[in-house]
Amino acid sequence: MNFDLGPDQRDAAAGARDFFRGSASPAAARAALEGGPVEPGHEALAAIGFLGITVPESAGGAGAGLLDLAVVAEQGGAVLAGPSLVTAARAAVLLGEHPDLAARLADGSARFAVVDGPVTGSAPSIDAAGATLFLGLDGGALVVGEGEATAGPPMDATRGLASVRLTSRRVLAEDAGELWARARQVAAVVLAAEDLGAADRAVQLAVGYAQQREAFGRRIGSYQAVKHLLVDAWVGVDQLRSLVWWAAWAADAAAAELPLAASAAKASAAEVLERAAETCIQVHGGIGFTWEHDAHLYWRRAKVDRLLLGDAAEHLDAVARLAVAGALG
Amino acid sequence: MDFDDTPDEAAYRAAVRTLLEEHAAELLHVAPGGEAVDARTHEAGLRRTQRVLAEAGLVGITWPREHGGQGGTLVQQAIVTQELARAGVPTLINHIGLGMCGPTVIAHGSDDQKRRYLARLLRADDVWCQLFSEPASGSDLAALRTTAVRDGDEWVVNGQKVWTTLAHVADLGILLTRTDPDRPKHAGLTMFVVDMHAPGVTVRPLRQMVGSAGFNEVFFDEVRIPDEERLGEPGEGWRVAITTLMNERVTIGGAGSDLGVPVERLAALARERLPHLDAERQVLARQAVGRAVVASLAARYTGYRRFTVLSQGGLPGPEASAGKLAGTAAAKLVADAGVRLLGDDAVYAATADGDATWQRSQGYLPGLAIAGGTDQVLRNILGERVLGLPPEPRSDKDAPFAGGRR
Ligand SMILES: Cc1cc2nc3c(=O)[nH]c(=O)nc-3n(C[C@H](O)[C@H](O)[C@H](O)COP(=O)(O)OP(=O)(O)OC[C@H]3O[C@@H](n4cnc5c(N)ncnc54)[C@H](O)[C@@H]3O)c2cc1C
Repeated sequence: MNFDLGPDQRDAAAGARDFFRGSASPAAARAALEGGPVEPGHEALAAIGFLGITVPESAGGAGAGLLDLAVVAEQGGAVLAGPSLVTAARAAVLLGEHPDLAARLADGSARFAVVDGPVTGSAPSIDAAGATLFLGLDGGALVVGEGEATAGPPMDATRGLASVRLTSRRVLAEDAGELWARARQVAAVVLAAEDLGAADRAVQLAVGYAQQREAFGRRIGSYQAVKHLLVDAWVGVDQLRSLVWWAAWAADAAAAELPLAASAAKASAAEVLERAAETCIQVHGGIGFTWEHDAHLYWRRAKVDRLLLGDAAEHLDAVARLAVAGALG
Repeated sequence: MDFDDTPDEAAYRAAVRTLLEEHAAELLHVAPGGEAVDARTHEAGLRRTQRVLAEAGLVGITWPREHGGQGGTLVQQAIVTQELARAGVPTLINHIGLGMCGPTVIAHGSDDQKRRYLARLLRADDVWCQLFSEPASGSDLAALRTTAVRDGDEWVVNGQKVWTTLAHVADLGILLTRTDPDRPKHAGLTMFVVDMHAPGVTVRPLRQMVGSAGFNEVFFDEVRIPDEERLGEPGEGWRVAITTLMNERVTIGGAGSDLGVPVERLAALARERLPHLDAERQVLARQAVGRAVVASLAARYTGYRRFTVLSQGGLPGPEASAGKLAGTAAAKLVADAGVRLLGDDAVYAATADGDATWQRSQGYLPGLAIAGGTDQVLRNILGERVLGLPPEPRSDKDAPFAGGRR
């Protein structure tokens, strides 16, 4: 048994942290709510190679595993980066048999989005706003096409959510239900990884404040009502990290475990990030409720992400069904 | 990253399985999930089981060979633990000795103590208990009042311990006492090994909330302990106790095994019971089962992460407390989902066909949230030692114990 990151993954995570800290921030996420660009943005992510991490080398990608991508995604989540690596990971699975398109995903020459729901009018889908090529499931077939995206007023502008109506479509694969399901599980793992990074950061912010702020002659972190709130949020993050790593590892090395692991990670991520973000606001008091403070940007991420790619109820149901069907062994 | 046995580990596991099969007839067995066996009614069988296992080389895997251990690795110990559970062997009677008392003797005992005690502990020739908590000092352990007063080559002990698991069958215990009431409370403590059969030791079983007698009160009335039974220097008892408590939290919250009923059993129960529920109830039950499975797997895989660090030579840190905290919460979700799936039987202490697995677990878990550090105390530890939050102000930390608030 060796349940830890390897040296290469640690290096990749450290490099990704530097990159994301230099190119994205909660401040940028705030500005995006007022019409600013999403940072680091599609071109920068393509340039550093993050869009092709799981694309095969023959198609111009890095040919690495989902775990390698997840540790990078976690760092993006910590600073609320966009577009999401969810899209890159999911499209890479869907384009496994289409190296020409996968190459355009990896080099960024096409901006892909994967749309959920009917292609004639999809559910709000990640990074659909601004995408140039859409992948969807149409009557069991995997299709690619152009489309029109319609977005509502953003709760979290970094997610690029929009509903899509395809204006053209070409079938990439008939009977693509299984492929589609696997791609969605992979997407759920990456979303959970981004949520892990965001939750970890929200807890750090709150802990840092609780170490400094004084009330009634004591630092507020010395009060158990505050301390225990923070500990519970931190324990959640620590537990979520285990599920994310396991699920990402399963995608690479134990395909049979992926459906259960992905749903477990996604269900947990929804609740852990929500608790971390709400704790972050609460521990900050009034300042935490201001536009200028970063806390609400993590809260926005939490409130949106928990509903994307299936909410906790859907994934808990999936976990129960799989467990009952024998997936625990 | 991988979860498989290496070829060496697989060979070791196979050898362990073979040994367990060879000795099956001499070992006590329990139905899957019926982990707890009453120590009093099954004392002889439990002692024999551990002795047979020890003679087969399956106890004290990580302990040094010179003390009767196997000089093996943590991974090998984990394999043995898994295989014992798989074979339906109940928790070893000396689990407190193996998990806490023994490691404390190894760390702080004299050569003579190690020679006299450790090999016998492994064979359950002596069963051990941990005599720390008192009526007025549980979480605040360092406030304990049992005194030991030096008298020549001996110490004379007076006082009372309580909640002492296994004291009713124990031969020996590690005993934390106050030897210097004029010093601040943490500084005046000394640890001993005490003979539970010595004159002046009285053990009274206490009935636990679910009915069985798992723990006891223990009275010390002019009990004489030779000075060579001291563990560590006089006044160093707190440091010695910390060794015990660190081992306790790793033992309880440790390496990726479920603290209550294994979650696989919940899945099996749900498979059987779900079809009998109406559609709306099934939806609700699946939410509860799903939640319990997610919490259990998260705790289990977090245990694997900690275990990986330990198996590569890392030291158990304060984050071990998170394992017990999260593991207890997960076990409660599992037990609750299990009990709820029993339908009408859920209001009784066992099902109509006499199975008490779920009700027993439900009734045992409130104790787990208290024993070995309450949930609240664990949160304090995590908040202060892992997150670096400021401690609470303490009025009694530096004052002489005797002059403090009593
Ligand atoms: C099943 C079981 C087995 C046990 N076995 C043993 C054994 O073998 N040997 C042994 O020595 N002891 C044993 N114990 C005792 C156990 O260690 C103590 O019960 C435990 O440490 C709590 O102490 P207490 O019972 O005095 O409760 P208290 O310390 O009085 O706690 C009461 C309540 O106050 C809370 N509290 C106390 N201090 C704080 C604080 N600083 N911050 C926030 N909340 C606080 C606690 O969380 C709890 O909710 C066992 C207990 C149980 C339940």
